[in-house]
Amino acid sequence: MFEMFNLDLKAGGVMKIKGHISEDAEGFAINLGCKSSDLAFHFNPRFKESVIVCNSLCSDNWQQEQRDKHFNFHRGSTVKLVVEFLGDKFLVKLPDGHEVEFPNRHGYDNISYLNIHGGFKVTSFKVE
Amino acid sequence: MEQGLVVTQLDVQPGECVKVKGKISSDAKGFSVNVGKDSGTLMLHFNPRFDCHGDVNTVVCNSKEDGMWGEEDRKADFPFQHGDKVEICISFDAAEVKVKVPEVEFEFPNRLGMEKIQYLAVEGDFKVKAIKFS
Repeated sequence: MFEMFNLDLKAGGVMKIKGHISEDAEGFAINLGCKSSDLAFHFNPRFKESVIVCNSLCSDNWQQEQRDKHFNFHRGSTVKLVVEFLGDKFLVKLPDGHEVEFPNRHGYDNISYLNIHGGFKVTSFKVE
Repeated sequence: MEQGLVVTQLDVQPGECVKVKGKISSDAKGFSVNVGKDSGTLMLHFNPRFDCHGDVNTVVCNSKEDGMWGEEDRKADFPFQHGDKVEICISFDAAEVKVKVPEVEFEFPNRLGMEKIQYLAVEGDFKVKAIKFS
């Protein structure tokens, strides 16, 4: 699991994450919040179900899931994801142009923590 | 120095390169880029000082083992300027760790014989814009 602390991403901030999806990936997750037990945004593509599951986590308790059936990730490929923190919501721009939105349910004004786990190896990380 | 971005659970192998791109603040006193196993176990503490700890325009390198600093190594070159955008490229092997910045390459012994980099931290007057692994 790739973990970042002291990120300091405020509303309007954009992250570009590039990485490689492993050949045997069951899925992967990109998590944003203030620590591993408190996540504003859990972005979780799953190969088995061909679905992108999004959710938030409060004191280790998952909240209501949001599922997007648009699934265009491929094992063994390199992908670039653009994640925007727009204040009231998060927006992920996928390589095929599809966008996934998720509300900022818990009113985070600063994202200080990120982790990425599962079958995704980060090769590049940029913040704007 | 103010703690900046920290990345953990990395798996950077000998011969691979960690590139850290960022901007030195216009009134920077100093910054450091640390790599190693964790905050108390550092293969390299790379610390350009514009004006701090009694040093002016000096790069200080060191290692840290079990929370204890090793012997400081002061470098002759200082290829940094206030307000600069820089790209710092760190790679290592069993013998030494190399830091490349445009035009200058710094070398420092791999005193702890570390076999991978799991931890990266940036401190001080340097704003990280990008990190790449290759």
